[in-house]
Amino acid sequence: MSTALLDVEDLQVELITAGGVVRAVDGVSFTIGEGETVTVIGESGSGKSTTAMAVLGLLPDDLAVLSGSVRFGDTDVIADPKALRGVRGRTVSLIPQDPMTALSPVHTIGRQLVEAVRLRKPDLAKHAAEARAVELLDLVHVPRSADQLGRYPHQLSGGMLQRVLIAIALAGEPRLLVADEPTSALDVTVQAGILGLLLELQESTGIGILMITHDLGVARLVSDRIHVMRDGRFVESGDVESVVDHPSHEYTRKLLSAVPVLGPWDEDDTAGGDR
Amino acid sequence: MAPYLFKRLGQSVLTVFLTISTVFVLIRMAPGDPAAAYAGPLATTEDLAKIRASFGLDRSVVEQYLLFLKGILTGDLGTSYSFRSPALDVVLERLPFTITLAVAAILITTVVSVPLGVWMARRADTTRELGANVVTIAGQSMPDFWSGIMLLTVFAVLIPVLPASGFATWGGLVLPALTVAILQIALISRLVRSEMAKNLTAPYLTVARSRGVSERALVWRYAMTNSSIPVVTALGTRFASMLNGVVVVEVVFAWPGVGSLVVRALETRDYPLIQATVLVTAALAVTVQLLVDLAYPLLDPRVRLGKKVSA
Ligand SMILES: Nc1ncnc2c1ncn2[C@@H]1O[C@H](COP(=O)(O)OP(=O)(O)O)[C@@H](O)[C@H]1O
Ligand SMILES: [Mg+2]
Repeated sequence: MSTALLDVEDLQVELITAGGVVRAVDGVSFTIGEGETVTVIGESGSGKSTTAMAVLGLLPDDLAVLSGSVRFGDTDVIADPKALRGVRGRTVSLIPQDPMTALSPVHTIGRQLVEAVRLRKPDLAKHAAEARAVELLDLVHVPRSADQLGRYPHQLSGGMLQRVLIAIALAGEPRLLVADEPTSALDVTVQAGILGLLLELQESTGIGILMITHDLGVARLVSDRIHVMRDGRFVESGDVESVVDHPSHEYTRKLLSAVPVLGPWDEDDTAGGDR
Repeated sequence: MAPYLFKRLGQSVLTVFLTISTVFVLIRMAPGDPAAAYAGPLATTEDLAKIRASFGLDRSVVEQYLLFLKGILTGDLGTSYSFRSPALDVVLERLPFTITLAVAAILITTVVSVPLGVWMARRADTTRELGANVVTIAGQSMPDFWSGIMLLTVFAVLIPVLPASGFATWGGLVLPALTVAILQIALISRLVRSEMAKNLTAPYLTVARSRGVSERALVWRYAMTNSSIPVVTALGTRFASMLNGVVVVEVVFAWPGVGSLVVRALETRDYPLIQATVLVTAALAVTVQLLVDLAYPLLDPRVRLGKKVSA
């Protein structure tokens, strides 16, 4: 695929741990194109987060050895880690697993959001950056957006914080979002709202999404393609229908038999279910 | 906030009261007679009795204690035997020197320990960091008088660039302030290190890094601001304890502060002067500590604003 936003080839990650070297990711390849959602699903410890963090260059260099290639367009960030500076935020952004710990607790929402806006547009005046921040909060359906700028993270609920984090991720106008289990730390009643928001944003902006999850309900809902991960490898790959309806691998069948835990699809967290 | 304030205020007053009462009793239990110290070896028994009466020491200890408490309420802490002037005035005259020393020491401590702690945190678990660790642990266990005498030997005797004692010029401040600061640097830089190490690996920092925030901003804006609350609190506490605890350093460097004053007062059994020194320094230290405790909620929005979950 020549128009791929992200092209990962034979990615291998060795983690240097107290108990020796762990090959957490063992030769995975995948691509994500414009407007696509590619899901990596697998049980806990299978190497999903390590894959996501390797793509973003967020593994500590003294503890992780990477090989293979991770290309954003023409830029291979494994061959040239310095290029990450131009890529992070602008080409790819992270939606974290636990929104409650993902913002600095002593800085306001506004400060962190405005900072993200200005990283993209350093020349923007303060009031213009603030106006853009409010716009972004509106985009992710945070109510009373202007009032939220002066608030601190601990004053917002998990679901609202995840929306704020999505707004912050969008501030850099990236082409791709990496979402590492973006709903697994959230109340079951707000999970669907967050996933719905991501799909809505994808619809309107054509942003690509790398979705990491252990939840088949999530995978089935959002994915164009699914890669099933086990012990650092993809054991099965394909479109949703073929993987979910005709799993060829025993491991996938086991994942499938686990009951999908997803909140009711029609309950939107902006409508007051968010606690 | 108000009940908390009253509780802390009450605690502070009680601390000062217990400190001064203990000192009042202890100095009277210790061997040595103020009258003999005052009159010298040639005094007759009759002379001593007269002197004792003039000092009010012929009364019972309970009576002396009640008079002393009454004096506190009226701001009269008695007359220093050796200075022959109001004890409080003598102490207040010396106090600025001690405060100057403590302020200089805390400034040196801050300026050195913050970068040192950050440096150690960013090189967590490497050999060089281990080296810095050993040095700070050594600094922490070094007695004040030893580091003071070392600094004196090196900078005032071997390489005589700094005055060894007294406060004739601002240069005279350098060695005593450094001596006080060494121990504090060891403590504070290790606190900065552990707080920074915690924040540099915190999830919020990784998320900030993922959106392209520069390493400099990650360290100084994010991790440092989050670390600053416990560090500022610790600095305040160290400052408070310095106001009490620089006695040895003041004596080593002949620094004209309340520390060397209290040593002289002890030598001459100058009860009013000892009491006044202890009262003033204890009150000051407790006040600083109170201010630090009250400042804490102002620094931390989680405490200041409380938990309020809402859309
Ligand atoms: N910081 C770490 N220290 C030691 N081992 C780790 C660390 N992070 C991940 N691993 C190991 O790497 C493997 C993959 O972990 P991870 O990518 O977090 O899996 P997942 O996100 O799928 O649950 C696991 O075997 C885990 O034990
Ligand atoms: Mg994970």
